[in-house]
Amino acid sequence: MIVFGALILALIVSLAGVLAGAWWAPFVAGLAIGFIQPRARVAVPAGAMVGLLAWALPLAAVQVRYGAGSAAESLAAIMGFGHQGAIPVVLTCAVGLLLGLTGAWFGSAARSLAYPAISR
Amino acid sequence: MIAALVVSAAVLYAAFAGAGPLPALGPAFNPVTGAWTMAADAAIGSQTLRLAGLEKPVNVTLEADGTSHIVAQTDHDLFLATGYMHARFRLFQMDLLRRQGEGRLSEVVGKAALDSDRFELQLGLLRTAQAEWNAASQRSRDAGVAYAQGVNDRISEAETNHQLPAMFALLGYQPKPWTPIDSLIVKGDMTQTLNFTDTPLVMALLEKSLGADLTSQWFTTLPPNPQSPYDPGPYPPAVAPAPIAAVSHVTDSEAVAAADVYQRLASLPAGLIATGGDSNNWAVAGSRSTSGGALMAGDPHLHLTLPAIWYQLTWDSPSYHVSGVSIPGTPAILIGHNQHISWSLTDAQNQQTFFYLEHEDSAHPGQYLWKGAWKSYSTVSYDIPVLGGATDHLAVKISVHGPVITERGQTTSVWWAGNIPSQDLDVLLGVDQAGNYQQFRDALRGWYSPTHNFVYADDQGNIGLISAGYYPQVAAGQPWLPMPGTGEDDVVGTIPFDSIPQVYNPPSGIIWSANQRQVTADYPYYIGTASNFFDPGYRANEIHRALSQSSKLSAADMAALQTDTRDFLASEIVPILLQVIPSSPSKDLLTNWDYRMEINSPAATIWWTFWQSYLAATFDSYWHSRGVTVSRSELNDALGQDLEAWTLGDPSNAAFTYGGSSNTAFDVMRTAFASTLSSLTKQLGSDPSTWTWGTVHQRVIENLAQVKGLDYGPRPDRGDANTPLAAPDFPSSHGPSWRMVVDWGAGTFQAIYPGGQSENPASTWYSDRVDAWFNGKYAAMLSADAAAKSGGAKTWSLQP
Repeated sequence: MIVFGALILALIVSLAGVLAGAWWAPFVAGLAIGFIQPRARVAVPAGAMVGLLAWALPLAAVQVRYGAGSAAESLAAIMGFGHQGAIPVVLTCAVGLLLGLTGAWFGSAARSLAYPAISR
Repeated sequence: MIAALVVSAAVLYAAFAGAGPLPALGPAFNPVTGAWTMAADAAIGSQTLRLAGLEKPVNVTLEADGTSHIVAQTDHDLFLATGYMHARFRLFQMDLLRRQGEGRLSEVVGKAALDSDRFELQLGLLRTAQAEWNAASQRSRDAGVAYAQGVNDRISEAETNHQLPAMFALLGYQPKPWTPIDSLIVKGDMTQTLNFTDTPLVMALLEKSLGADLTSQWFTTLPPNPQSPYDPGPYPPAVAPAPIAAVSHVTDSEAVAAADVYQRLASLPAGLIATGGDSNNWAVAGSRSTSGGALMAGDPHLHLTLPAIWYQLTWDSPSYHVSGVSIPGTPAILIGHNQHISWSLTDAQNQQTFFYLEHEDSAHPGQYLWKGAWKSYSTVSYDIPVLGGATDHLAVKISVHGPVITERGQTTSVWWAGNIPSQDLDVLLGVDQAGNYQQFRDALRGWYSPTHNFVYADDQGNIGLISAGYYPQVAAGQPWLPMPGTGEDDVVGTIPFDSIPQVYNPPSGIIWSANQRQVTADYPYYIGTASNFFDPGYRANEIHRALSQSSKLSAADMAALQTDTRDFLASEIVPILLQVIPSSPSKDLLTNWDYRMEINSPAATIWWTFWQSYLAATFDSYWHSRGVTVSRSELNDALGQDLEAWTLGDPSNAAFTYGGSSNTAFDVMRTAFASTLSSLTKQLGSDPSTWTWGTVHQRVIENLAQVKGLDYGPRPDRGDANTPLAAPDFPSSHGPSWRMVVDWGAGTFQAIYPGGQSENPASTWYSDRVDAWFNGKYAAMLSADAAAKSGGAKTWSLQP
């Protein structure tokens, strides 16, 4: 339950950061998860999930409030992918996921250096 | 640990700085503050906004297509709200336009734009805008300051609410505050696009390679072909003799200088220098209209982009009641109507660019000889920030004639009318307020550049046309070539305002302009040569022909003529061609053709291909044998006028006898026609009935930021370079940027432009008007009251 609560807290912090323009917040949250959670195989997927949700939920809100299809197609066109609107959606989610994932991975690695005996 | 560090660093680097073609992924794709905000931006509803600097509440009605109606209680608030609305829908476009003129594109796009930046800073739009602002009238200052405040209100709001246009997020920068000088820069961009020309350089290169004999014969001062000048005279006597002289010898060093500048200008992005005009306007007096009121039509032709150069709006304030189109970045309505008058414009095309060869001597370093004395160049230095590279340093030398444009071969400076500080913004505001022809004409006295043919019609049935602007007159010499900079050939003034081309209520009841030479050979002043300054005249001839056919004309006739595709040149040449070529299915197609360049017409394809072949068959041998350094196709307008004139009246001209042959025009036509059929068979198959114009001629409306995926088209389209519905090039990206038809008798005002009000590609207002424009449709130009009652309208309340 504590772990779950910590993840929710990390998600909230990440979301708040993203909403305020601090797009890197999931990396910081992942870093904290990785450093606090002793098991890397838990911390890294958890960090990735937090990062993914922190970017995907606001994107979903954009879709619900305004419809994101036209914006997605436009972004794909700008990036040179024709009108393949799925590409920027996937890219956006991937950025969030990678920020959380690498943050947690780096946090776990740092923890393993700082506390080698209790990190797994 | 090392793997985690490396991967994390890579992800963070890509997120912060981007990778390859990808932008900085973090800020760019943040779904709340990045490019995804274009979705929210596209959702427009009624709302109340607070704007700093407003004196009183302002009401803005947005029609279903985004046309904005601003109702303000003070003029100050009108300009402020205009700035806000422009920035709300076109901020990135505005920023690009000012960066282009200020030489600051490299700062955001990298060294790819450095040549453009260096050229602009050399040419001097920024220096001119600063000088104009220092001398601006109170009316212009008030408008410029209020407008800038409105733009900056929007920038602040967008930054606070994370609503900056997506392109800022993708390019990774934020707009700096807007200033009134930026507005003058944007106006300078348009001036440059419309009348900064390289023609004297081209003429020098021709003189050097083609030879003085053929250059003077083929590139004449007066048009060799039939023309329809709108001002037939009589003309007031000239106050100074027109400086017409024979072509002189161009030295090697002069040719090197000309070639250097010519090649440099040719390598700049399209649209920075004028390459010919394609605009129409005309008016019909009330005595000749079915409604009894004056009719007016205008369709300025420009490079067609998304977003368009135009933003449509109406103004209602104590001093302004205007409806029309504005250029985002400028606080004026450029084309439109008010309660009493309407106006539109075409480029007048007179020569406004002159090149001077400075006389230097190693004994006088850093100086040039002028009027018998050695003068030092003044110098201005610029630092040009370059994204991803070192800051570029540029020193611009300036002589009495203007900025030095090259020091290769012979130091050459350029005198350009667009560099004369002028009060064009004040002029436009005066036009917006004018209530009759006298006020309209008086307002235009101060207009300098680009020279425009301003057509006029009013609610009293009057019509007029005046080609306002600066007509540089040189003391002596040959202005169509680079001239000595020693003082004898300097620009000494302009044609007096009362003597520039103009007509008011002509007996015929019709007036028209389509970039043709406005006056006959009797006009006593030099205004430019037939070669690459003025249009060949086919559109003007066709418009004149069409307007002359009916005793009474209607607004529907105006609209039909704006989208007419009858090729006047074809109507002259094809009957002669049919007399000299043998029978064939292709000949049958031409025989039954109405000279209209329609999508489904195979005859249109045959005609156009024939004309290109005819030009090639007549002139290419000269080009190849003499090693002419200017592309022949670049000169087709001028050479086409010669070919037209010879075919109609001088078929035995010596030009047809290259290599000692005894050919006449008719022999060359037969050869060219055979070549036409051969190449079309190879390209489109053996059945001429399938050679439709739409298969070879398309139109594209390009995204302003050059994002191909955001272009409209290409799609098959009608028209060609010579038709009233102009569609030059393949694919054509140039044409009627705005069509307006006014019927003062019926009280109807209609217009359309190919684009949409918003630069946001996710908005329905990005390109919603394009299909209607393609189909020749118009939308009513509504009053603010009518707009508020129209379906789908949104209301914005702007509060202090």
